[in-house]
Amino acid sequence: MKTMKVSFNVNSEDVTLDVRPYETLLETLRERLFLTGAKEACGLGACGACTVIVNGIPLRSCLVLTPEVEGATIMTVEGLREDGNLHPLQETFMEKGAVQCGFCTSGMIMTAKALLDRNKRPTKKEIVTTISSNVCRCTGYKKIVEAVEEAAKRMA
Amino acid sequence: MILPQFEYKRARSVADAVALYKKEKGKALYLAGGTDLIPLVKLRLREPKAVIDLKGIEDLKIIATRGGSLSVGANATLFDLKKDPVIAAHFPALVESLDATACETLQMRGTLGGNILQGARCLEYNQSLEWRKARGFCFKMGGKECNVVKGAKVCFANYCSDNAPSLISLGAQVRLMGPGGERTVKLESLFTGDARAPFAMEGGEVLTHILVPLKKTKGAYEKLRVRESMDYPLVGAAVSVIDGKVRICVGGVGAAPRLYVLGDIRDAASVRDVAEKASADAKPVANATLSPAYRKKMVGTLIKRALKRALAEGKG
Ligand SMILES: Cc1cc2nc3c(=O)[nH]c(=O)nc-3n(C[C@H](O)[C@H](O)[C@H](O)COP(=O)(O)OP(=O)(O)OC[C@H]3O[C@@H](n4cnc5c(N)ncnc54)[C@H](O)[C@@H]3O)c2cc1C
Ligand code: SF4
Ligand code: FES
Ligand code: FES
Repeated sequence: MKTMKVSFNVNSEDVTLDVRPYETLLETLRERLFLTGAKEACGLGACGACTVIVNGIPLRSCLVLTPEVEGATIMTVEGLREDGNLHPLQETFMEKGAVQCGFCTSGMIMTAKALLDRNKRPTKKEIVTTISSNVCRCTGYKKIVEAVEEAAKRMA
Repeated sequence: MILPQFEYKRARSVADAVALYKKEKGKALYLAGGTDLIPLVKLRLREPKAVIDLKGIEDLKIIATRGGSLSVGANATLFDLKKDPVIAAHFPALVESLDATACETLQMRGTLGGNILQGARCLEYNQSLEWRKARGFCFKMGGKECNVVKGAKVCFANYCSDNAPSLISLGAQVRLMGPGGERTVKLESLFTGDARAPFAMEGGEVLTHILVPLKKTKGAYEKLRVRESMDYPLVGAAVSVIDGKVRICVGGVGAAPRLYVLGDIRDAASVRDVAEKASADAKPVANATLSPAYRKKMVGTLIKRALKRALAEGKG
């Protein structure tokens, strides 16, 4: 099948790629751009491990076709660092022990980042609602919620 | 999970989408948020030759008041609708069902059109090809009989939209445009009652707008689920009170939502009757994560709970 030319911006870099029309954004990020921060767990939209931010919105990249993101601005966990400094969410996730196996972590952080971008001072309830879009099989969520609360404080 | 091969097409207008569909000779599927469709294609339950992306069609994103109705473009996302001030002020049942749908991230991608037109679900059906092959194809997959109710030549898959029941309780209509032209029908008549092909739609029809009569209503939505997040309804009950009349709609059990209309809300006996009748009408089978007996009982219970809240809160 013929490939398609798709252009988008990822982590502040413009890219143009030839992709399969039925290629998922997750496959493109991981296998063509070697951005392996976003993980494939369920592959069916049920867990959030593949979450990246597309035009300001957290998206499950396992459900998105790469041709759908033509012209989009995408951020993956690799794009969070600024001037060599980790993002507050990356710091607080480590400090609070919100990471165990780490498979859900990039999805959790990108989901939380999108929340903090649209809502500077989320309540604990709002954080829980947002984070419940993502599944973690290790931490029990408590430390993840604490890490997001702490990051919000530092960013305020 | 890897997708099978298909072409990707972008439609610029509804007419363009229909033309693309005709060109693909009916072997194409429309794509909105893809949160229902892509998993089905990954599981090899749908096998399109092409997908036609509707998201670029501006007219399908518009939320506007038109001639006594709120007209919602099919591509409006569940999250945006949940935050819409007109919806918040008029349709409490819909606000609650939007909020109860999937999870925040999926609400930001999922559209109302896609939510209404999602496939019917069954524990034996929404599985990988390998799983289904090992089990043997059931009636809905082209096999001889149902794998849940042995010997049955009927499919009992459940239609699990959270928002169709509340829209039906609000008296919503849907506008469709396809190869045969345009039509507007009541949402409750969009269903065939056959879970193998739940929608009474012609090939290539695009759901363009959802029209909800713009009246202040009281209402509530109750959802039975195992997890608080990312869980399809095991039963859903929507109640809307419009001009003193109560419209109750039950979803999550069987191929189509069921509507009940009550004349007088102050009549306690008729409330009990409707709850009992809806429970009796519901015929759940062992194809979801809770037992059929429990789900059947909960139909009546959820109706009573929703009614109680709808009337007590005094919204509107
Ligand atoms: C983990 C998970 C949990 C979920 N939980 C829930 C839940 O609790 N409640 C619930 O209701 N849903 C749930 N969903 C289903 C889904 O996310 C939502 O129903 C969503 O609103 C579907 O919208 P979409 O735009 O993504 O649809 P799509 O997947 O794009 O489309 C769905 C179907 O409708 C057709 N279609 C879409 N738009 C049109 C149109 N305008 N005209 C004609 N045909 C069209 C498509 O061809 C497809 O067959 C869940 C999904 C996942 C993955
Ligand atoms: S109810 Fe029966 S026929 Fe329908 S999907 Fe389930 S197993 Fe198949
Ligand atoms: S891998 Fe995408 S949601 Fe689980
Ligand atoms: S840390 Fe292991 S899944 Fe979350």
